[in-house]
Amino acid sequence: MAAIRELCKSLVQPVLAVMIGLLTGAVVIAAVGESVIGTYQEMWKGAFGSFYFFTSTLARATPIMLIALGLALAFRAGVFNLGAEGQMVLGAISATLVAIYLPAPGIVKMLAGILVGITVGGLWSLLAGYMEAKFRIPLLISTLLFNYIAVLFASYLVSDPFQDRTGSAALAQTVMLEKSAWLPKLFSGMSVHAGFFFAIAAALLLFWVIRFTPFGYEVKMLGQNPLFARYGGINQIKVMLTGMFASGGLAGLAGTVEVLGAHYRFVDGALTVPNFAWTGMMATLLANSNPIGIIFTSILLAAFQTGAMGVERNTEVPLELASVIQAVLILFISAKFSYDWWKKRKAKGGESHGAA
Amino acid sequence: MELLDWSLISSTIRMVTPILLAALGGALCARVGIFNVGLEGLVLVGAFSAIVGNHFTGSLFLAILFAALVCVLFSLLFAYMTIGLKANEIVVGVAINFLALGLTTFALRAIFGVKGAFYDKEMAGLPKLDIPVIKEIPVLGDILSGHSPLVYFAFLAAIMLYLFFYRTVTGFRVLAVGLNPVAARSLGLKVTGLQVLAITACGVLCGVAGAQLSLGQVTMFSEGMTAGRGFIALVAMMMGQSHPLGILASSFLFGLMDALSIRLQGLSLPTQFTSMLPYLLTIVAMFFVKEKSKAGGSQQSSR
Repeated sequence: MAAIRELCKSLVQPVLAVMIGLLTGAVVIAAVGESVIGTYQEMWKGAFGSFYFFTSTLARATPIMLIALGLALAFRAGVFNLGAEGQMVLGAISATLVAIYLPAPGIVKMLAGILVGITVGGLWSLLAGYMEAKFRIPLLISTLLFNYIAVLFASYLVSDPFQDRTGSAALAQTVMLEKSAWLPKLFSGMSVHAGFFFAIAAALLLFWVIRFTPFGYEVKMLGQNPLFARYGGINQIKVMLTGMFASGGLAGLAGTVEVLGAHYRFVDGALTVPNFAWTGMMATLLANSNPIGIIFTSILLAAFQTGAMGVERNTEVPLELASVIQAVLILFISAKFSYDWWKKRKAKGGESHGAA
Repeated sequence: MELLDWSLISSTIRMVTPILLAALGGALCARVGIFNVGLEGLVLVGAFSAIVGNHFTGSLFLAILFAALVCVLFSLLFAYMTIGLKANEIVVGVAINFLALGLTTFALRAIFGVKGAFYDKEMAGLPKLDIPVIKEIPVLGDILSGHSPLVYFAFLAAIMLYLFFYRTVTGFRVLAVGLNPVAARSLGLKVTGLQVLAITACGVLCGVAGAQLSLGQVTMFSEGMTAGRGFIALVAMMMGQSHPLGILASSFLFGLMDALSIRLQGLSLPTQFTSMLPYLLTIVAMFFVKEKSKAGGSQQSSR
């Protein structure tokens, strides 16, 4: 019961922010002289209008959700991991290469790809964590820098040594994965794939970890009150590093399932252009780092994006309506976010509170 | 093409300008204890409004002014959220970046009716300034002369900021606020006022940075044309430890790498590696340059 109450409590503010976001969107739509109601109808149709569109929304929500879950864990431990993009891309490229070149049956390739994707994403993130722990290089900087290095490195790999030269050589992409290594689709002909189940499973797992395990308690303590955590004998470095590994691993998984389930090959820019990483961060913030809440906020943000595609197809309003609404949403959620989480950290005190 | 010649330095100076300006703006924020991740968005807004201003007024001066003004408005939004509503500055910064990307692309469609990029051959870019005497000196003339006025402004801004921080009373106060807001407030300093002032100035600098991007180097606006420069500025600021001269040095490094990577493309070296250089170098540098001051407020991420 307490869990449900906590969930409701942490959903009040997001709902309010969504309202304000939609209102701002309405102003913007009106400014270009389009019908507000008509545009929002198109948006709804584009996101949920048919079973096909609905599954597209879920497919888009999949990487966002996984990244958001990873970031949630890091945030809860009081660590700002800005490197989800790099962790995702590096995980994805490693997974792709393993899935292409490992001499094994398809199912083994797939599983090995997933495992490698998680590991590489996690290690990349762990490296930044290690540099913070050992050399006091701020995570905020290192994770941001690591993004560029990872994305550029992956781009090099697919535009030179592992480029698919069979088709048009101008495209920077790997060869197609063999069909038996693909993640199965949940419904034939629809875009949502098994990765969505992974995301849901990860959310439930994370919820369980945070709520019922000693590690979850340590994370919570470290995030809410580092001084108290130290006093309580928590190995902060260990918790931070574990958090970073898990957080990067989930980002790596996000990239991996996107490749294995949607693109079937690593295409340069296919993971960075849709801005999954930053959207994932927004989903976390909206859900106040609550894993169950993240399921909903990821789908919501994905719906804005797929909906905006529908809007662009059928009206004169550009796709970027989604970015505007999302940004306003985050601006309005951030005020509350700080009171509950950040200020408490800065003040290094204050009463503890269920919804971290 | 030769790899290293004097024109490399000249193109470095051009490349460095937007980064330098934005980084100086970021440093101002950092010095009052606010970590501004929104630089990328602010520069983008500046680039777009500079084009809008130029298109509708036909005056370059008004265009730059307009860019600065719009950026200040965005900065004030940032200031209101972070100082007024005490929202987390990183979160707000991320939101500002999204808002900027969305709004500029949206407005590109709404105002000019085009998608992707706006280009108008009637539109004049920033003029190249030839400095009378220096222009005649063989090597130095090629390097220092013939840049857009904003390039000179950027370097001037770095020097001015240095003088401001270390030679003026207000500058000292700004530094005090960044070091310890509580102590500064107890001394009777108007902490909030100084913070808003710094963020506003950051807006002006980012607006000008954007103007240099869209009117100085090319005369057009394309969606997301900042392409991570705001984040690079952020890194330059952190690496330069929010010290104007440090920032000058680190931005110069980024600019040089940028210019060099374009050269190296001719040498069949993968561009990805050359583009990676600045980031790798920054990481290496961070091992040596330890954080002395608490520049950046919330940078102490985990403990």
